[in-house]
Amino acid sequence: MDISRRNFLKIAGMAAAGAAVGACTAKPESESEAPSGEMTLRVNPSTGDSVSILGYGCMRLPTVNGGSAQNDNSEIDQETLNAHVDYAIAHGVNYFDTSPRYCRGLSEKAMGEALSRHPRDKWMIATKLSNFEPADKSPAASKAMFMQSLRDLKTDHIDYYLLHALGGGGIPNMRRRIIDNGMLEFCKQQRAKGTIRNLGFSYHGDVKVFNELMHMHDRGDVKWDFAQIQLNYINWHHPAEPDQGVTAKQLYDALHSRGIAVVVMEPLLGGTLAQVPVSIAAQMAQRRPDDSPAKWAFRFAALPGVLTVLSGMTYMENVKENIATYSPLEPLSADETKFLLEMADATMGFKTVPCTGCAYCMPCPYGVDIPGNFRHYNKCIKDDNIPQYTRTTDYARARRAFLAGYDLAVDRERAADHCIACGGCKPACPQSIDIPGELARIAQYTNKLRQEQV
Amino acid sequence: MLKKLRLAVALITFAAFFALFADMSGVMRSWLAPLAKWQLIPALLAVNLAAIVVIALVTLAIGRLYCSVLCPLGVYQDVVSRVAALASGKKKRRAGRFGYALPHRRWRLAFLGIFIALAAVALLGLVPMSFASVIEPYSIFGRMATWLGRPLAAAINNVAAQASAALGGYWFSPVSQLPLSLTLIIVATASWIVVTVMAWRGGRDYCNTVCPVGTALGFISRYSFLKPVINADKCTRCGACARKCKSKCINPKTHEIDISRCVACFDCIGACREGAISYSRKPGACSKHHAADGGRRSFMLTSALVAGGLAASAAKRSSDGGLAPLQPKKSIKRQIRICPPGAASARAFESKCVACQLCIDRCPNGVLTPSTSLERFMQPEMTFERGYCRPECTLCTDVCPTGALKSMSIPAKSSTKIGTAKVRLDACMSAAYGEQCGHCARQCPSGAIAMVPVAEGDNRLRPLVDTSRCIGCGSCEYHCPVGRAARFRSGEPAIFVEGIETQYII
Repeated sequence: MDISRRNFLKIAGMAAAGAAVGACTAKPESESEAPSGEMTLRVNPSTGDSVSILGYGCMRLPTVNGGSAQNDNSEIDQETLNAHVDYAIAHGVNYFDTSPRYCRGLSEKAMGEALSRHPRDKWMIATKLSNFEPADKSPAASKAMFMQSLRDLKTDHIDYYLLHALGGGGIPNMRRRIIDNGMLEFCKQQRAKGTIRNLGFSYHGDVKVFNELMHMHDRGDVKWDFAQIQLNYINWHHPAEPDQGVTAKQLYDALHSRGIAVVVMEPLLGGTLAQVPVSIAAQMAQRRPDDSPAKWAFRFAALPGVLTVLSGMTYMENVKENIATYSPLEPLSADETKFLLEMADATMGFKTVPCTGCAYCMPCPYGVDIPGNFRHYNKCIKDDNIPQYTRTTDYARARRAFLAGYDLAVDRERAADHCIACGGCKPACPQSIDIPGELARIAQYTNKLRQEQV
Repeated sequence: MLKKLRLAVALITFAAFFALFADMSGVMRSWLAPLAKWQLIPALLAVNLAAIVVIALVTLAIGRLYCSVLCPLGVYQDVVSRVAALASGKKKRRAGRFGYALPHRRWRLAFLGIFIALAAVALLGLVPMSFASVIEPYSIFGRMATWLGRPLAAAINNVAAQASAALGGYWFSPVSQLPLSLTLIIVATASWIVVTVMAWRGGRDYCNTVCPVGTALGFISRYSFLKPVINADKCTRCGACARKCKSKCINPKTHEIDISRCVACFDCIGACREGAISYSRKPGACSKHHAADGGRRSFMLTSALVAGGLAASAAKRSSDGGLAPLQPKKSIKRQIRICPPGAASARAFESKCVACQLCIDRCPNGVLTPSTSLERFMQPEMTFERGYCRPECTLCTDVCPTGALKSMSIPAKSSTKIGTAKVRLDACMSAAYGEQCGHCARQCPSGAIAMVPVAEGDNRLRPLVDTSRCIGCGSCEYHCPVGRAARFRSGEPAIFVEGIETQYII
């Protein structure tokens, strides 16, 4: 019999997943890393779906190069992805969130491949109308995008359909994308037909758009089944986009009071809350010695009324850790919530760049690796490798760590000093980061450090 | 005893020289920098009197010790010769594999004569020194170490850097590989093969036939105070010393040792079972033979052109993520080539540089590259595709052993003008197409570029270079997005540095 390596792995993966399910149903306590069957579930008030509190984010799928498909240019590693999805489903995860734009457009197809290997009632898929480009906004192109999603995901219905990232470009752009081209009506029709089971939107950017979407709900123009917002203990009181001034708390309250289910994105603020400054990590460890900073952030995000918390997973460790965190969820005590919010105030003093690594700004036409530059800078802040004075005690070590680490993290050809400040990336940033300004700040700092002037 | 001492010192010098070119940590390099200044030809060119006098005195005292302990190429040949002996079997290794040979007197004089003549016309500024340096031992070693040893060392270092960063250490800094071209590989490999084959087959044949330093020191060593002498009363004419002598300069039949070829390795002293050879003041016999036979060696220099340039289409943001492709920037054709800082002028520089590659090897910004033009072969030239000449960096002038690049302070360096930026207005994305850029002005460390309207009432801006402030560091050329980003077809930047005849402090 001819068993190719791929088939062999597939079979082996299924067998392993099956074995895991069997083992766990037999004696659930013995599973040390992630107890299956104990995943906390939340109920969707509109359709009665039982949704796992952990949502599987499909924006950072693994590549054959061992990286994430959002950040490197190689193909998605389908075998590894299948193994991750098998494990997740076996351990109770049933919500998968993708978009036609994720992973350079490769995410939906890969997820369709991975999920179609499981019974349709084992998983729910969320995808989006990502009609950002002018060419995609026409009625025909937008509808085609929806139809293509169905084909790529190998399904006849979308469980959760989102109008993607409403808010960018203000009310006029929102109207162009969903009102003028009839897409909102189209989606409502599809919901009536059952091709879309839940209709919602994800929000970034102009708060006027969010308020308008709420008014539409109140007026009965459209009933939003759910909405996806950025929520974490930093953004709870500190707006993700300072110029909009709207906090995660305000968004959450607006949705929760209307009974609209909340889907949380960026619970770790692009991974930054998994790696907090040492002073904060120390205080967390004093309270709960075994918990990672990421677990604290996940516990915060799972507020009442939150349907699911999305986390992009690239490696099996991410999958296992995230599942363990929510199997089951231990809600924060009032005291713990207060502690985290104090930590958030402390963190904001460090001036990291609030980049989540979503790479919506990429590719930069001038080749700059924007998220890579920010990631390195933030990491150095966290590790205390940003010397401010040449007379700092361990100046030489810190300087070396910054410069050597920079060369390792980012090609010199893609470093911050190649940003020509064209500003093309700025509107794309869902965090409204002044990307050219921040890159200039990093380039200037690096240059001074090279000259040993700081 | 003497031999062991010689071996120890020789191996230390050799390791130090190798580290000088290939230590990627940069820790040892700064201490080792003075080492190259003790090489005879660089010392003569730099008029480094201390080194010249010491080398001459040592040679006058105990012969060509320089050749066996200070010359890295000499030590390298001893290593090869030793390996050859090991490979030739136990019997031969014990007994020795050489035998007395007559000196190639005419060839020696011819090579020395050619070298002196070429060096002299180079010093007069008529041709570059690169011709003479083809047979100069230190620069041969430098070219081998830079283009064969360094790539290997850098690769190992970069793996170590990745590993140490993964462990959170940063004990190693990643270094960029120098761009290897076919020409460079051929040149380095050819010299490596020639030197290695000669040493494998004939011990110190190169040193006693081709090497101008060996021949010149041979003139002095004839008159050295101490020299190996055979005690004719004790000698049984067994020939053991001659078989061990890699210089093939001992004639056991006549008890004569050709001191001009002896490299003071002390091997013969240990080889003699009768204890008949000693270092003493008694005059040794000079070879009076005039026979000559043909040397059969040539240095093959081939050149190849590196074809570059990618025609990539403009990057479109059709989906999120990923990196835009970059294309290799093309070096601009300059009317006057740019010499490294401290060179004073192209003529002065080229007449002294022996093309040892030390500055190229050392430059942290990747702006020095060996010339592929036949006349200035392997001498460094400046290009700004991979970085710019940082005003606060003086590494190349610090290491140059020949004085071709004169050492200078950081303030002097940061105000030494090596060229002037020129704008290609028709290619500039701001001046020609009205796009927002001004990157050259922002990145100029001298503040020499201003963005001004192309014409009155025109809202397109152009870079305007203040030539009195521009030092030609190449920051503008390096940072110019034109030619680098894939959206441009041409590989040439819109602003570039044109060389100047004479460098000066602004």
